Amino acid sequence: MSPAILVGTRKGLFVLKGDEGRRDWEVEGPHLSGWDVFHAAKDDGSIFAAANHAVYGATVQRSDDGGKTWERSEGLGMPEDHELTLEKTWHVEPGSDGTLWLGGAPGVLFRSSDRGESWDPVLSLIDHPTRERWNPGAGGMCTHSIQFDPENDQTMYVGISAAGVFRSEDGGESWTPANKGTAADFMPDDPFPEVGQCVHKVLVHPAKPERLWQQNHCGVYRSDNRGESWERLEDNGLPSSFGFPIAIHHRDPDMAFVIPEDSARGSAGEVGGGDRVTTGGRLGVYRTQDGGGSWELASNGLPERAWVEVLREGMASDRLDPVGIYFGTKSGSVFVSPNEGNEWIEAARHLPAVLSVEVAEW
Amino acid sequence: MDRGGAPLARGALGRSRRVVTVLLPGLLADQAGGRKEFELDAPTVGAALRALPVRDLLFDERDELRPLVNVYVDGMDARERGGLEGELLDGETVRVVAAVAGG
Repeated sequence: MSPAILVGTRKGLFVLKGDEGRRDWEVEGPHLSGWDVFHAAKDDGSIFAAANHAVYGATVQRSDDGGKTWERSEGLGMPEDHELTLEKTWHVEPGSDGTLWLGGAPGVLFRSSDRGESWDPVLSLIDHPTRERWNPGAGGMCTHSIQFDPENDQTMYVGISAAGVFRSEDGGESWTPANKGTAADFMPDDPFPEVGQCVHKVLVHPAKPERLWQQNHCGVYRSDNRGESWERLEDNGLPSSFGFPIAIHHRDPDMAFVIPEDSARGSAGEVGGGDRVTTGGRLGVYRTQDGGGSWELASNGLPERAWVEVLREGMASDRLDPVGIYFGTKSGSVFVSPNEGNEWIEAARHLPAVLSVEVAEW
Repeated sequence: MDRGGAPLARGALGRSRRVVTVLLPGLLADQAGGRKEFELDAPTVGAALRALPVRDLLFDERDELRPLVNVYVDGMDARERGGLEGELLDGETVRVVAAVAGG
């Protein structure tokens, strides 16, 4: 097996195939030409893509032959009598026992037990009693993060912007808000509500499942108690608390990577989101190796002057040794660090706007 | 999963057939297994569109035609001749066109 990256773009899906050292990459594609591929994941030999079109709506597409041909899920959508209709598909996440999960807008979640042939809406989340306090972010009200506890397949988490993080301990039958300590600085009358936080990305650490990492509209956070409470990691080396993606080191629970944007400092009362490009025109990946206690610039090889955007699905890490870190920009570049952020290589450039980056093996 | 290979609609026994041609744009043809032309026995515009293997891309889950899908029958906007309920005549051509807007 060789390393590969699934790169979802505004104009289809590209597959980047790398050498063993992850330094040389070949670009294949586009597949699903004409579709906005919000996210794609490979599972058990198949590629699943959350593909959207301004005219033809939201779909999930599956390829069983490496992207050569695609089949579209039938019957994806909300029940006909439900007040909501499916607007976008955002994220496909393989679960346990072959189950697939799909997040979408407006704040919806689906589950498939037949490899994406059909999808059942998870109404326990969609009709959550707090829903009236959810609001869409600038990208719509998207369910973008779907994470599982590797030690207990009944425990899972979703992140919805701007509704917050929700945890289920019964395989998705019921959901509890898990936002204590995460700020909604854009709601100054109630900056710590039960729900309504603008979570941008949530990850569970696979080697320490009680540890969660979160990049939020209002700060970078760590939880060490399965989301019961969160600690804001600020004024410790990050030039801005605002950003979209976050990546983790799959063996070392203390190592994480973010790409700050804007110039927001929550501790100074500043709310980010007004200037969604890399802070100070510096394409800066920031790495922590002490659980977020401090952050260092880890951008050797990245352009020093670059006003770029990296979206919430635009960053990923692999499980190789050393760990590889990957991110793509809306200006069409994909950068790879084959060694945990110590150096960076531009694996592709001049692609359409990159919406998502996901690791795969080929 | 939809492989885009749905069989052609067949006329009911004893009823006169109204065979129409439906033309799809490239992206929809890709989703219909590479096929951009369908010959169907369909009494109305809606029936013709619903018989296509890309029905779910043309209609939302409430069975409403997506707002940016335009349909023309022999060059005339289908809205001007009864919309989805508009009757089709034998030999007519239904063309699906994605609305073009913006830059």
